[in-house]
Amino acid sequence: MAPAHRPPRSARAKALRRHLLIYLGLVPFLVITVFPVFWMAITAVKQEADLYRMDAVPFWFHQAPTWKNFDILFNRTFYRAWIVNTGAISFWVSVITLLTAVPAGYALARLRLPFAENLGIGIFMTYLVPAIILFIPLARVVAELDLQDSWWSLVVIYPTFTIPFCTWLLMGFFKTVPFEIEEAAMVDGCGQLGALLRVVLPVSWPGLITAVIFSFTLSMQDFLYSLAFVSISEQKPVPLGVATELIRGDVYFWGSLMAGALLVGVPVAIIYNLFLDKFISGITGAAIK
Amino acid sequence: MTGSARGAPSPGAVGVAVAGRAGARSWWRTPTARRYVFGYSLLAPAVLYVGLLVGVPFVFSLYLAVSDAAVGEPVARFVGLENFASILESTTFYVALRNTLVFTVGAGILKGLLGTTLAFLLVQPFRGRRVVRALVVIPFTLPIAISVLGWKWMFDSQFSVLNWALSRVGLIGAYGSADWPVWLGQPHLALLSVMFVNVWRGFPFGAIVLLAGMTSVAPEILEAAKVDGASFLQRFRKIIVPMIAPILFIGTAFDTVFTLSDLSIVYLLTNGGPDGATEILPTLAYNTGIRAGALGRGAAISLFLFPLLLPAMVLLLRTLRRRQY
Repeated sequence: MAPAHRPPRSARAKALRRHLLIYLGLVPFLVITVFPVFWMAITAVKQEADLYRMDAVPFWFHQAPTWKNFDILFNRTFYRAWIVNTGAISFWVSVITLLTAVPAGYALARLRLPFAENLGIGIFMTYLVPAIILFIPLARVVAELDLQDSWWSLVVIYPTFTIPFCTWLLMGFFKTVPFEIEEAAMVDGCGQLGALLRVVLPVSWPGLITAVIFSFTLSMQDFLYSLAFVSISEQKPVPLGVATELIRGDVYFWGSLMAGALLVGVPVAIIYNLFLDKFISGITGAAIK
Repeated sequence: MTGSARGAPSPGAVGVAVAGRAGARSWWRTPTARRYVFGYSLLAPAVLYVGLLVGVPFVFSLYLAVSDAAVGEPVARFVGLENFASILESTTFYVALRNTLVFTVGAGILKGLLGTTLAFLLVQPFRGRRVVRALVVIPFTLPIAISVLGWKWMFDSQFSVLNWALSRVGLIGAYGSADWPVWLGQPHLALLSVMFVNVWRGFPFGAIVLLAGMTSVAPEILEAAKVDGASFLQRFRKIIVPMIAPILFIGTAFDTVFTLSDLSIVYLLTNGGPDGATEILPTLAYNTGIRAGALGRGAAISLFLFPLLLPAMVLLLRTLRRRQY
């Protein structure tokens, strides 16, 4: 490398121009992706009358911002129950997913089983069998289990997509854990199960956390199953509750709707965002880095 | 690492063959056999769960489709292909099928164009790239039902913020005039609107998948090609395209599966209306199977999605298999 020196003026001008062009190209994309969130957020804290006026610029407040919409949401709807339901569903789905996908991913990645690759791909392909084909027969399953109109039906159903996805993800993850640590553990007298529980799992916690995160975010992306199987207000998860309960006939309570939507939507989006690369490398089959 | 994992089964297989001759009983005691038993019992819970709640229901949906099963009627009769025949006779089905195809193909092309443009912008090094990337993927990371509600409000017939802006810059007329678009109330606009929301949600996903593919092309290879005198176009066609093509296929296939099977956008924005203009197969299946309670017919309608999904799934299967190694 040559010693640092000021780049000539023309090079700096060139870099500046390049940056300007890129930003210029990105502006439309940023507007279209960010504006809806801004609009939802401002709607959530506007007064009712401020929402419905056509004479003033709608992008800012013309009456003082208000928390009234949140008050309605928490005190006059089942929003608290929806949040509790969503939390409980995600918790149990994560538990089921971890208990099944961790051993499966480990077995597929490390035990050199015959047909392991094909089994792995087979399990992953079930992730692609869409809800829209399965929801009608699953309605019968839910009825047989006597879980109609209870969020427990979703606890049973959601692992049908979280297990395939997380097994695949963890399979990629376990492939990156060095074989030596298990061998060392087994030399030290651990059995195969002991090596898995005492040595492999403790160093695999980033993979386990990723699996929990995806159990949670993928569960939050569902709409069809909850719509089809849960129709009692108190039993709904947040996305379904917000979408169906804050409407009276033709009247939409836009303020509370947007408040309820963003209150869970934004945290989910942030978490998902942080783990997006893992999601992408997971579905494209590349090794998890 | 993968090399050792791949090479390993052969000694195991030899062990099986040798032990097999020595007698079944002692084979069960070999380390290989113990590893297999251990391995398959670790796999069993996941395989059983998915088998029972995906495999069995899938087969059951085939059975439902040839029965007259309905909500509240415990006994279903076998009706052969009657459901399919009556579906093929109804005009609603063809409208839904046509809308599904227009929706999937139209939105797919737009997502491809926008996603590619965005990926080429994001692959450049520039200041603030991480922040920009985090912001442009918002549509994909927000739970779908939640962002669709935001769009429903933005497409409001009277207080639509889009219309307010368009009207201010003079692209559309004033409220109440014939030039005031009612996005979700006019047939063509409604189909465009639901497609638009799908594109809005999907193109960041395409861009990020492509970006991952582009950044996996080692700069050294491009540098070497440059030194060897390859022009930009040659490098693009001979190196970049072949290397990102598989990943692009995967992205497209996933997106097609998501798009074909998603009902929430249409259900929440228009529920198929106005007058069937945005009816797609998922909404038709839901409204027939759950709302109207005709489980058999609903299952038959949703099975019509399968031939549409199959090419995408086969493509994925082949690409994933190749990428394994």
